[in-house]
Amino acid sequence: MERSIENIWKEGFLKSDDLVAPKINNLYNQKSIHIIDKFKRMFKINLIAIVAFSFAFLVVSFFVGIPITGVIFFVTLSVLVYINKKLLNELEKIDLGESSYQYLKAFNQWKNKQLSINMKISRFFYPIIFLAMIFGFWFKDAEGMYLGERLVGEILVGFPEIYLVFGIPLIGIVIAIIILVLLAFFGARIYKWDLNVIYGNVFKKLEELMTDIESLRS
Amino acid sequence: MSSDFYKISILPFAGIIIKLCRAYTNSQQDFEDYYQEVCLQIWRSKDNFREESQWSTWVYRISLNVCLTLLKKKKNNVQHFVSDSVTVEETEDNYAFSDESLNLLYDAIRKLSEIDRAIIMLYLEEKSQKEIAEIIGTNPNNIGVRVKRIKIRLKKILDGKIN
Repeated sequence: MERSIENIWKEGFLKSDDLVAPKINNLYNQKSIHIIDKFKRMFKINLIAIVAFSFAFLVVSFFVGIPITGVIFFVTLSVLVYINKKLLNELEKIDLGESSYQYLKAFNQWKNKQLSINMKISRFFYPIIFLAMIFGFWFKDAEGMYLGERLVGEILVGFPEIYLVFGIPLIGIVIAIIILVLLAFFGARIYKWDLNVIYGNVFKKLEELMTDIESLRS
Repeated sequence: MSSDFYKISILPFAGIIIKLCRAYTNSQQDFEDYYQEVCLQIWRSKDNFREESQWSTWVYRISLNVCLTLLKKKKNNVQHFVSDSVTVEETEDNYAFSDESLNLLYDAIRKLSEIDRAIIMLYLEEKSQKEIAEIIGTNPNNIGVRVKRIKIRLKKILDGKIN
């Protein structure tokens, strides 16, 4: 009796071992490359965004009368971008021909190096940004005199006995120093937090992949 | 992706993925590449799964999309590098199932249009018309009629009445 296609289909697969899934070793290579490519793209976009922002802020700062802030921002961020671009060039040198595990390990080493360098930079970066804001607004023109001096003058009207150091209220200096110390102290942590906000998801996937491959190797 | 994801979310559907990939490939190497790409795409797109359909439907849809995309790419490459007289469909089938009738059926299925191949395989996998339509992205009312036509065509191919 002639068999229907439904029967051929059912019986054919019942008898055979043809439905054994092929090995997917190479999948890990592809996934590693995919995740790291994604990270590279995000990292590049981030650097471009920093350059664009620092340039735009530089222009705006001249218009709003805080060019000191704009210039310091621009120089600091340019140095930051330069260092990270050099780090990115190192990342590009990682050999894609290595096994996925070696590739991921090499990336992980790069990531740790990048993290360590940027955490050190951040200890200076955030205080510099804060100082740039202070200087920018202090020297902003306010009807023929600096905004900072004008503010001190108004404070002295309300609090004539306030103690001044080089024409600046001591309490202001103390508060600024405390903020600077806190920023220097927490700079590395702020950077780490910032990094996690942007790349946390990618890093998590990479860690999962590493754990996966390690469990397969063991 | 964790190996758990592969085991829990892909492996239970490996059967249909394998069957689909086999219908769109002519060699073991191609089949393994297609299978791998399907798994990779399922993993990549897992975050886009909105639970509006069943996970299995999602898996079938991705599998089909990947197969069609890879087939299109391969056809383009073949057209670039091989003479016009040889097409993908005509290349030698150098891998086969252990069941001879199944091989003949697969050969016949490979002679169908790309979408008809998907429809008949989903039908043979006993998917409902609604589910087939959802995977293919068409109206469920047309599926029944289309399956009948495909079966007639398959029968003719198997009987050697048409190539």
